[in-house]
Amino acid sequence: MDINVSEVSKSFKTRSGKVLEVLKGLNIEVPSGSILKLEGASGSGKTTLMNILSGLIMPDEGKIEIGDIDISTLSEVEKDRFRAENIGYIFQTFNLLSPFSVIENVYAPAAFSGKLKKDHKEKAMEILNQVGLKGFEKSMPYHLSVGQRQRVAVARVLFSENRIILADEPTASLDKISSKSVFDSLMKCREFGATIIFASHDEVFREISPDRTVSLDEGGAQ
Amino acid sequence: MRAGFLLKAVIHNIKHRLGTFIISVLAVAVAFTFLSAVGAVSFGIASTAVNTSLRYPLVVGPAGSSDTQLVMSSIFNIDKPSGTLDYSVYEELLRDPRVTAAYPMARSDSYRGVPIIGVNSNFIKDLKTSFYAEEGGFNKNDPLPHNDLHTAIVGYKFAERYGIGIGDTFVGSHGHVGDSHAHTHDYFEYRVAAILEPVNGPEDYSIFTHYKAVWAVHEDHDCEHGHEHGHGHGHGHGHEHGHGHGHGHGHEHGHEHGHGHGHGHGHEHGHGHRHEHGHNHETLTAVLVRTVNPVATSQLEGEYSAKPGSTAADVGRTVRRLVEYMSKAEQAAGFFSYGTLFIVLMMVFVTVLMSVSERKKEMALMRTLGIGRGAISLTVMIETMLITFSGILTGLAAGHLILYFAKPFIDMRLGINIEPFLFTAVELQGVVITLIAGQILALIAMFRIYNMNLIEEVSRD
Repeated sequence: MDINVSEVSKSFKTRSGKVLEVLKGLNIEVPSGSILKLEGASGSGKTTLMNILSGLIMPDEGKIEIGDIDISTLSEVEKDRFRAENIGYIFQTFNLLSPFSVIENVYAPAAFSGKLKKDHKEKAMEILNQVGLKGFEKSMPYHLSVGQRQRVAVARVLFSENRIILADEPTASLDKISSKSVFDSLMKCREFGATIIFASHDEVFREISPDRTVSLDEGGAQ
Repeated sequence: MRAGFLLKAVIHNIKHRLGTFIISVLAVAVAFTFLSAVGAVSFGIASTAVNTSLRYPLVVGPAGSSDTQLVMSSIFNIDKPSGTLDYSVYEELLRDPRVTAAYPMARSDSYRGVPIIGVNSNFIKDLKTSFYAEEGGFNKNDPLPHNDLHTAIVGYKFAERYGIGIGDTFVGSHGHVGDSHAHTHDYFEYRVAAILEPVNGPEDYSIFTHYKAVWAVHEDHDCEHGHEHGHGHGHGHGHEHGHGHGHGHGHEHGHEHGHGHGHGHGHEHGHGHRHEHGHNHETLTAVLVRTVNPVATSQLEGEYSAKPGSTAADVGRTVRRLVEYMSKAEQAAGFFSYGTLFIVLMMVFVTVLMSVSERKKEMALMRTLGIGRGAISLTVMIETMLITFSGILTGLAAGHLILYFAKPFIDMRLGINIEPFLFTAVELQGVVITLIAGQILALIAMFRIYNMNLIEEVSRD
């Protein structure tokens, strides 16, 4: 899925009433299957852009086209469906649903949208195996380390085969070994041609050669 | 699978907040226990009142009794009779062409807190119920023979409750339920000749003997006390115990037992009459009357109320007044029940609201995973439904079980025949209101999710 961001602006009002312009007239084109690295200082708008791309927030101005869909035209229900089908979002922390076991977290989005296939358990087990979580399938999220939880989040993305993966500092709170493990897991998403957009200050991500790097300092692509 | 996931999310949340969940369920349950009791008792009052008032439209009793007291004591066996009525009133009523049936009633004693009611065979036959009776000796056409005054017929539920069987014997206690001066008549034993099949009325918790047995007991009673205490004092035990049987008997023995009980007729009519007939106890506490038509009922009520020594009560009118009075109490109880339910629903709302607040972050994550608002809302609605439904079921079960165990007491003490496992309209109304209100409140709580800032919630540590 090609991603086309054109003239996107987004600002927030601070508590003191001051308007903070985070993105200003941003234009980015991300071809399907490519890797985009977002750079910028803290508060430069990396997370804001990912949130806009996932349809969680809307830009004040501009247009976001993913494939042939203009996400600003979608209703809330359509956005939920669009996210479930296309977007895999990995946050810095808190990626798992506490009521469900590791394996259930992997296929939860498909289960909730009623799109589970017959072999979903086998597939989930295979993916957990790939990300080094064999034997943890029945564990609950609170039984896992932070690194293992992040790998479950990646496994969920691998299971759903989301076309677009948004990874916002996915290894920020991890040690080197765990970071490498999460990174390796994330790279498996390339196998099914996912477009990966990530923001990370972690050294482990320097191993990757992104197709494009966008710096969001000063509110726009440079 | 989707439903299973939703349910799992709900169950997890309930487990996580089990204490709050249990308290909410119990609160709903308490409200429904109360509602069940109000419903069953209201229904019981109405049906008992209607059934009994249809059977005997008029009650004639001693002067000085209020309509309510007369009806309560003679129809529902609840209140104490307030005095005695001369037997001749019954005879006079029998001769009256406007009367189709009249039954004498003499009450004084009790056994195990249940009144021993002196009636006649016609009264028993008029109950139109079958008997469990002793073989051979019991005549269904004359169940309370006047020549065997020791015969007793007991109500089914009374027999069942106290394990009383045919052929068992017992003695009455002088005095009514609640009398502090009651003592037993060991010298006069009753024998249970038959047990009535249930009639779903106050009769189920009654003991019937011939009215002459009541006279006989107190004849002996007064004799005994006359001997024991016959010191020539100006008053005797009959007086001390406040009962109406025994007019003139004391006089026969040189004592004044029974005089001046406040019944008003003892001095005027008692002595001469008693000595003439040799029956110094020929008094009744009431006469139950069936008339040819409502006009006759009204006429007789007026006539007997005007006569010295007697009064009369239109049972239908008295019961209607009682039901109206009780329905005010019922309305008050109903308001209280619904008030409780309202408070409980508010509590459920707060519980759900707290649950939603605690799970905001998780719900936001669900949204980012593409799980729709509908599915998330469903988890909240299912949780609310579980609280209200569990509470309703627990409350109804507890309420009906309490009614089941309290039924003998309510039957016996209040004369109200309740159906412990009858699902009343009040309960149905409560169930519908609670389920609907619960879901509306869940939806209100859900607005918090609809207005949730997903990003803020997910990024919040």
